[in-house]
Amino acid sequence: MKKLIAYLFLALTATACVNDDKYDWDNDFADRSDTDTLHIAIAYNGATATVTGDASNFVSIDGANVTVRSNTNRFLLLTLSGTTQNGSLLIHSWKKLGVLLNGVNITNPIGPAINNQCSKAFYVLTATGTDNTLTDGTAYADNPFTAYGDTIDQKATLFSEGQIYFGGSGMLTVNGNAKNGIASDDYVVFESGTVSVNVAATGTNGVKVNDGFTITGGILNIDVKADGARGIKNDSFTTFNGGTTTITTSGDCKIETVDGISDTTSCAGIRCDSLFSMKAGTLTITSNGDGGKGINCSQNIEVSGGSMTVNTTDTKAVVGKPKAVKSDTGIILSGGYFYASCKKSWACDNGSDSEKASERVTIIGTPTSKSLAKRLVEVSFL
Amino acid sequence: MWYELGAEKKLSSKWNVSAEAEVRTRNNARTADRWSVGINAEYKIFKGLKASAGYTFLDYNNQEEFDLKSDGLRPNKWTPSYWAERHRFNVSLTGSATWNRLSISLRERWQYTYRPQADNKKYDFDNETWKAVKGKGKNMLRSRLQLGYDIPHWKFDPFANIEMFNDKSGIKKMRYQVGVDYKYRKKHTFALTYRFQKVNGDDDDDNDVNSQLIGLSYKYKF
Repeated sequence: MKKLIAYLFLALTATACVNDDKYDWDNDFADRSDTDTLHIAIAYNGATATVTGDASNFVSIDGANVTVRSNTNRFLLLTLSGTTQNGSLLIHSWKKLGVLLNGVNITNPIGPAINNQCSKAFYVLTATGTDNTLTDGTAYADNPFTAYGDTIDQKATLFSEGQIYFGGSGMLTVNGNAKNGIASDDYVVFESGTVSVNVAATGTNGVKVNDGFTITGGILNIDVKADGARGIKNDSFTTFNGGTTTITTSGDCKIETVDGISDTTSCAGIRCDSLFSMKAGTLTITSNGDGGKGINCSQNIEVSGGSMTVNTTDTKAVVGKPKAVKSDTGIILSGGYFYASCKKSWACDNGSDSEKASERVTIIGTPTSKSLAKRLVEVSFL
Repeated sequence: MWYELGAEKKLSSKWNVSAEAEVRTRNNARTADRWSVGINAEYKIFKGLKASAGYTFLDYNNQEEFDLKSDGLRPNKWTPSYWAERHRFNVSLTGSATWNRLSISLRERWQYTYRPQADNKKYDFDNETWKAVKGKGKNMLRSRLQLGYDIPHWKFDPFANIEMFNDKSGIKKMRYQVGVDYKYRKKHTFALTYRFQKVNGDDDDDNDVNSQLIGLSYKYKF
């Protein structure tokens, strides 16, 4: 009897060996975004949009306004196509993701065309041979809120809370009519493809980033028209390691009065608050407005390679001084080609008050040619 | 399913000692929930009133816990199920009376359960580290009212009870039980029980939920 009971006891308990956890590290939490991709296609068609491949129901559609809420730990790649004049894409995701622009044209009259609320890496890829356009309206609706009461920022036609990597081999045109063309609360990296950013006089900056700008390849064209606008406005480092970048500004100085205190903001091709470094690639800046600058940097501007050409064309200098290349701490040339030209004020300003153009730049090494004048500085190591 | 094995020894007219082992399952008996061994000593103060004290060692298969951040999308903390020990002490006072073949008893039991700290069990997604589930002690007052009936010329004796679990915040759960004892040759007692357990609010230690439970037990009397 005792043995029978013991065996029965053991047999019954031995069956209870199933793990009842609902989550599994590898399937639910481990970062699989480098090895596994979840493909979802979104096709815009006028006032509607359709989605395919969304087995997990991440996508919701209201007219042509598409919202993605993803908690996959795979790499989420959204392939976008079609045209809408009243649509958008809003993304919430836990892990990094990308959009493949496969001939898409999105206009959102009241907000960003693409708004990525994920703070992880966001890849914006253009499919080979495609033209893609993103456009916002001249006035945004108030910032919406999540279901949990958090504000959804809307800082640009193409906005991401996280870093943006531009790649692919197609073309992307970003039109900004109310705010920035492209903005990231992190950093941006341009790797390949052709990206054109056009910001109207009703907008602000071309590319606005908090934590860094890098270009390693591709073609980047920026045209901003608003007063006080910057082609690239960057609170951190700026690095040119390749690619071809052309920036044009045409706005004048912007004068704002707050509490009786006037503040003047001049246009600039590039405004950065940290180190500016150019090692490769081609950079051409033309600043046409009153007081418009080419590069305006709080720290060193270092050119060791590539080709940089900066022109400011303002001849009046009514409010601001149209310096071509301005640094608060130093302009250091050690390689590549450097050309800075202005019609008024100084071509180069390195923070010193010297009246000698030769003391406004620091040349390291022996250039093959150099011309140092007040309104034209040309140094070549090529 | 709950499975129990017990043994009881009467030392004198006043003293009684017992030991028991128990295995509980969850997830429709597919997952082990806990196992325990315990000892108990009982003293009869006078007819109709007993006092007892006991200790139980428990090994719990703590249920998985998971929660999201305020956006409802990103994970916040995750604690996969894990086995960890607990120590439980109890003292009880039981009053009973019999009227013809009907018996009634009321047991008041205070129990204290200590859960030692369990290291590296909880994953914090913000800091990307495994953290400890902190140790904790918990007091509980259990009040059980039971009715039993001795059916003449039949070896099956039905019983029913209701038990209330109270802590400082109020009633944590209620347990309703009906069952039947089967005595075999005076030394062997088998029992089959059905329990319905109703949980009030979140039980942060056991993750108990409303459930229906079947129990099988065997007790040997020396």
